[in-house]
Amino acid sequence: MNPDLTVNIGRLTMQNPVMPASGCFGYGEEYAPFFDLSRLGAIVVKGTTAEPCSGNHPVRLAETPAGLLNAIGLQNPGVKAAREKIRELAHCGVPVIVNVAGHSAEDYLRVIDFLEEEEEAAAYEVNISCPNVSAGGMAFGTEPCVVESLVGNLRRSTKKTLIVKLSPNVTDITEIARAAESAGADAVSLINTLLGMAIDTATRRPVLANITGGLSGPAIKPVALRMVWQVSSAVKIPVIGMGGITGARDALEFLLAGASAVAIGAANFTNPMVCPETVDGIADYLSENGFESVSRIVGLAKESLRPVTGGVCGCGKK
Amino acid sequence: MPQMKVMYIKEHTLVAPDIRRMVLDDSIYARPGQFVQISVSPTLDPFLRRPLSVHDDGEGGLVLLYRASGRGTRLLAEKKPGDSVDILGPLGNGFPVTDAPAAILVAGGIGVAPLCYLARTLCEAGKQVIFLFGAQKADQLYIPKAITPFLTVLETATDDGSAGHHGPVTEVLEQFLQKGAVPVYGCGPEGMLRAMVRVAAQYYAQTYVSLEARMACGVGACLGCVVETFQNSGEAYQRVCVDGPVFSGEEVFR
Ligand SMILES: Cc1cc2nc3c(=O)[nH]c(=O)nc-3n(C[C@H](O)[C@H](O)[C@H](O)COP(=O)(O)OP(=O)(O)OC[C@H]3O[C@@H](n4cnc5c(N)ncnc54)[C@H](O)[C@@H]3O)c2cc1C
Ligand SMILES: Cc1cc2nc3c(=O)[nH]c(=O)nc-3n(C[C@H](O)[C@H](O)[C@H](O)COP(=O)(O)O)c2cc1C
Ligand code: FES
Repeated sequence: MNPDLTVNIGRLTMQNPVMPASGCFGYGEEYAPFFDLSRLGAIVVKGTTAEPCSGNHPVRLAETPAGLLNAIGLQNPGVKAAREKIRELAHCGVPVIVNVAGHSAEDYLRVIDFLEEEEEAAAYEVNISCPNVSAGGMAFGTEPCVVESLVGNLRRSTKKTLIVKLSPNVTDITEIARAAESAGADAVSLINTLLGMAIDTATRRPVLANITGGLSGPAIKPVALRMVWQVSSAVKIPVIGMGGITGARDALEFLLAGASAVAIGAANFTNPMVCPETVDGIADYLSENGFESVSRIVGLAKESLRPVTGGVCGCGKK
Repeated sequence: MPQMKVMYIKEHTLVAPDIRRMVLDDSIYARPGQFVQISVSPTLDPFLRRPLSVHDDGEGGLVLLYRASGRGTRLLAEKKPGDSVDILGPLGNGFPVTDAPAAILVAGGIGVAPLCYLARTLCEAGKQVIFLFGAQKADQLYIPKAITPFLTVLETATDDGSAGHHGPVTEVLEQFLQKGAVPVYGCGPEGMLRAMVRVAAQYYAQTYVSLEARMACGVGACLGCVVETFQNSGEAYQRVCVDGPVFSGEEVFR
């Protein structure tokens, strides 16, 4: 029997737990030549702002060991033009999750107000964690009280599923996750990119025009996995895990750590087929190991252990 | 439509210092000026694919010409005939072909790679091809013998005077533009392309330049490879991987 891959996040039902991560899949059309997009659990589109945003100057990318630094700076056509692309994308039949970004609480509200009546925008992922914009972005995501008030505001403005995307660039990510939960978020997603940089020894200058950028790819997977483990113990709402996933093995680690669903970012760039391959790989694993549904393995790695509530201190001891 | 394809290496030869020619066993039906994203390693590091121009394509298979410069291209250089490579392509817009009966192609260094395929295509379309090739020194002036029958004129230039004209290739370009303003296609270092566009503008010649940028996806999804362009509507960022890599000269150089 085929295992049941269905996942529920708030009011959103996904046919499987795999979605491309925000900013790594365009508006879907770029990857449509490679596979049937209807195979995905959901599609998360690029960070969308109220007004068009031109983004950062190039150079915007730097390859690093087993990873990638980016400083795109939220380039997007603004919510009005994005709406057309979202309508187009929704034809493929899977839920479209709109990643919402802004420089102020009003900005976020404007995006949500604009899309609230759009059936095609199935859910919002609120990006309070982008490291590449000077005002707002990550600034919202690092203070629990600011997160609580922002998410509370958004909660009152929407009936749709509200996912809050967390920054790893904080002292204690569980605090932020709890703030989002208590303000009414339906789920949290993590992690966004880790702040980093690279220097060109030939020119003796930073590679990125923005100086710093966000690190993604396999290099960040252990950090992301640890944070998903901690956050899924700290909150009751579902967790969407991401960071360095390159296939089913990685995705299964996140599910076993406590994520209800996973997102795949940078790996799409090296393997455009990574999302459907991951769906198949998860299904195979469940069948081979006798699990009737994906929900059966969520957080399973914790079951044999005593509950971990605190973090791990710097010396590696609990 | 781009595809992801595993192909096998038929030939892989060192044709000039650090420059290799790789012939693959299959075609991707590319147009001149398009490129591929090639995976240089099956492991997670180096993580990204590398963009390489289509040097030739057709029944003989896809051909790449590249300089082993950094870690990724040096890993590629280790591959042997019979080994497989994972190719994503064809990508990008390619060079436009105009109605003009002749064209000048200006290559700088390894920028020669996409222009050979363009030269063949233009010649087969019945056009005269004036091929100007500049490099630092003589040993970097690699031009495949199979291409020369397609060229009406082949002129070279070197920075050190070890072959052809002693000086920038754009000085040779000027001599030809004086005889008639025809479309000019360029690929090479940014400095050369800028000079090329400036010289051509004096003769009201249309220019097309193929640009390089650091890329992640190569398909337009990540917005990482942008270049600033100047258009009627003002300045805007365009993606080198899908809106380019070929831009009209005045669009990108001011
Ligand atoms: C559209 C396009 C077509 C190209 N065609 C050719 C070709 O036909 N032959 C050829 O020899 N070279 C070509 N290049 C340049 C080639 O992509 C780089 O030389 C190569 O990526 C360097 O990789 P590396 O690992 O050896 O260098 P590293 O410096 O180790 O690379 C580190 C990172 O920077 C990127 N990078 C470094 N230099 C360049 C560059 N010049 N352009 C773009 N990205 C770069 C790499 O892709 C990688 O992500 C082309 C570039 C573009 C954008
Ligand atoms: C090029 C690029 C652009 C991104 N843009 C966004 C964005 O607009 N909004 C957002 O919330 N996250 C964005 N991210 C972060 C990813 O969605 C994801 O959280 C992160 O890259 C970690 O996953 P990965 O290692 O699988 O890439 C971007 C990442 C990359 C590499
Ligand atoms: S390389 Fe991703 S948009 Fe061009």
